Amino acid sequence: MSTPRGSDIPNLNTFRSSHPGRGRGRKGGFAASEQGTEAQDQVVQRTDQDASVSRMNAVALGYLDDQFAKFFTPGPVPKKYPIINRGTYVRTTAIDMLVRRFLMTHCSQKKQIISLGAGSDTRYFRLVAENPSLPLVYHELDFAANTASKISTLKRNPPLLKALQGHVKDADDIAFSSDGTRLASPTYNIHPVDLRALVQSSQTPQPLSLPNLSPDIPTLVLSECCLIYLSPSAADSVLSALTRSLVPSPTPLSLILYEPIRPFDAFGKVMVANLASRGIHMQTLEKYASLSAQTTRLQTAGFAGGQGAVDVDFAFEQWIDAKERERISRCEMLDELEEWRLLARHYCVAWGWRNGKQEYGDVFSRAWDDVKDQNED
Amino acid sequence: MSDLDKAIEQLRHCRPIPEVQVRELCLKAREILIEEGNVVHVDAPVTICGDIHGQFHDLMELFRVGGDVPETSYLFMGDFVDRGFYSLESFLLLLCLKVRYPDRITLIRGNHESRQITTVYGFYDECLRKYGSANVWRYCCEVFDHLALAALVTGAATSLEPTPADWVDTAVATDPSPGAELELEILNADGQILSRYQRPQQDGTDSESLAPCAPSSVGHSGPPGSGAAGSGAATQQGGAIFCVHGGLSPLIDSIDKIRLLDRKQEVPHEGAMCDLLWSDPDDIDGWGLSPRGAGFLFGGDIVKCFNYRNDISLIARAHQLVMEGFKEMFDSRIVTVWSAPNYCYRCGNVAAILELGEDGSNAGFAPRSNGDVGRKSDRGRMGPGRRYRVFEAAPQVARGMPAKKPAADYFL
Repeated sequence: MSTPRGSDIPNLNTFRSSHPGRGRGRKGGFAASEQGTEAQDQVVQRTDQDASVSRMNAVALGYLDDQFAKFFTPGPVPKKYPIINRGTYVRTTAIDMLVRRFLMTHCSQKKQIISLGAGSDTRYFRLVAENPSLPLVYHELDFAANTASKISTLKRNPPLLKALQGHVKDADDIAFSSDGTRLASPTYNIHPVDLRALVQSSQTPQPLSLPNLSPDIPTLVLSECCLIYLSPSAADSVLSALTRSLVPSPTPLSLILYEPIRPFDAFGKVMVANLASRGIHMQTLEKYASLSAQTTRLQTAGFAGGQGAVDVDFAFEQWIDAKERERISRCEMLDELEEWRLLARHYCVAWGWRNGKQEYGDVFSRAWDDVKDQNED
Repeated sequence: MSDLDKAIEQLRHCRPIPEVQVRELCLKAREILIEEGNVVHVDAPVTICGDIHGQFHDLMELFRVGGDVPETSYLFMGDFVDRGFYSLESFLLLLCLKVRYPDRITLIRGNHESRQITTVYGFYDECLRKYGSANVWRYCCEVFDHLALAALVTGAATSLEPTPADWVDTAVATDPSPGAELELEILNADGQILSRYQRPQQDGTDSESLAPCAPSSVGHSGPPGSGAAGSGAATQQGGAIFCVHGGLSPLIDSIDKIRLLDRKQEVPHEGAMCDLLWSDPDDIDGWGLSPRGAGFLFGGDIVKCFNYRNDISLIARAHQLVMEGFKEMFDSRIVTVWSAPNYCYRCGNVAAILELGEDGSNAGFAPRSNGDVGRKSDRGRMGPGRRYRVFEAAPQVARGMPAKKPAADYFL
């Protein structure tokens, strides 16, 4: 059967109401191209609020437990459909699972997480509220517009500050920049960085400075729908900057990607067209279109210790136990099963690592070797 | 021009009618629907449609492809509302047509024709937005409670008159062999032939070993012949076509049991009425739990048994998105018809409608296979000839200005 032509697809831009944050979106990071205009950057930045809205929906309905979500969604929260709530749940839960395995391996070993385009993500707060003595240094990188908003939310809400202070221990160690876009501390850092600057830095003698980033502790890099907005060459350059200069070998390093895949089938084509009409271009989607393309990419980028990739449908069916799946199916009646599978098969979680020097104790292999991988594509 | 015709005209342009008129329309519709049984009888020829889900412009495309009411007789298998941007206009137009041409259009209930589901999936919000109050939603829900639960199509021809149309791909064009019956034809939105299948010639060596209702089939209450096998031996050559939104229920082994249900209520969370609107066929044996949280999964053995007992040659149902618009299962004993192209403006699927022709030729059919005289074959009644028309989403120019609604969601 033929598939709908691009011209048959409604221009979804016209559905956008005037208030910001209405469009679904990624958590921040990039514009459509390296030469992206300010307006294009704003399309991307503005979507962060919507990501928090999705999370708040999933929390309010009991899919996710996140006491911090509410601080990032001031005002009324627009409703999301059950498949979106389930998707938000699987995305968060799947990445949490990989992160926790990493943190629990050699649990007294000091570790580092770098979250690209973190936006208003609450992962740091959830982790340290649960365990204030976690030996973890956390870095979030995003556009200054997004970091400023996050820092202002942090300052306004005592429970967020309390979680941070409980982890940093000495409140005097927490420093905010005068423009309110940067937070520096021994354990939690928010960097107002356009990742495109990171790319340039790898080509210039003066490396971009990321305060408190340690080059020699086991490091996990998170990219939730972030690198995909760069051109394939720029996305590769960012990875190269991370693997070669920011956290060079032999330090153990890993990357978790959460991205759309399979753009070439009927659903994928409509997805690409719909997002394009909202000014969102996923530039690496065609290059890394499948699970195997993602694992090959990770291997090529230097994560030779091991790689894996699953789609969200697989993650829901195989990573989440039956009892929990039953709990999730009780959160809301989900009538759109076929649509759910269709949607969920178009997102993947991919991960890859290098173990580094022996003295680090093969931290990533131990953490992730037995994670169930999807052997089909 | 009567008020009703004016309303139809207005709705055809995707413009809602005033609240007082909706109220009047819903009252009239209820008067008509209340007279219908839980299982409506429909004569072939008829065109069977699946989910619409408020995709108004695609419903217009459906009428363009399938012919207009009243020239074409339609049977819609529910899920008129929710998800799309124009549930209100779509449902009210169908309802107007029902009131105007009660014998040319049949509407049966889908699982979305429910108070609870419409508050989650959009119809309630749409009514509130378009009228400023929930009154219209309330009127519509009262109509939902009166919709029939199923339909039985009789008098359908077992073979199709070949369409005198062009083939899309002349390389695969085939003319029917002499004497062969055309069982299935797939046409595109322009009426061109995509493919064609002839009914396999019976060679008289049917395996008799497979009893249609083997005792092993779960949920069946007895061997064939022990109960009332169907509603009397139908006289037509092919059996009837049973139409329902979702599927079968372990509590329903005969169509007569559907007739006994009290349907004039909100769709319950469990029980026979719920199952008819929520269940799905699946490649399993017997019955299974539905991952939807309502209804059941049912296997090919259940379908075979139900069809045999009730003298049904085909179950037509909707409820599940199928990318190709329709999907036949279990040796063409059941078909899923889906009529919302590019569902939710996101899924990229095509839609289909199913045309059943009238059995005009009557007597003089080739006899059934050897040893089959006076009893039903293992296959049961011969299935109807099936013409599927497949269509894509309506072109954007037809859509006009979309209502203000969030765009299709993605995880980004």
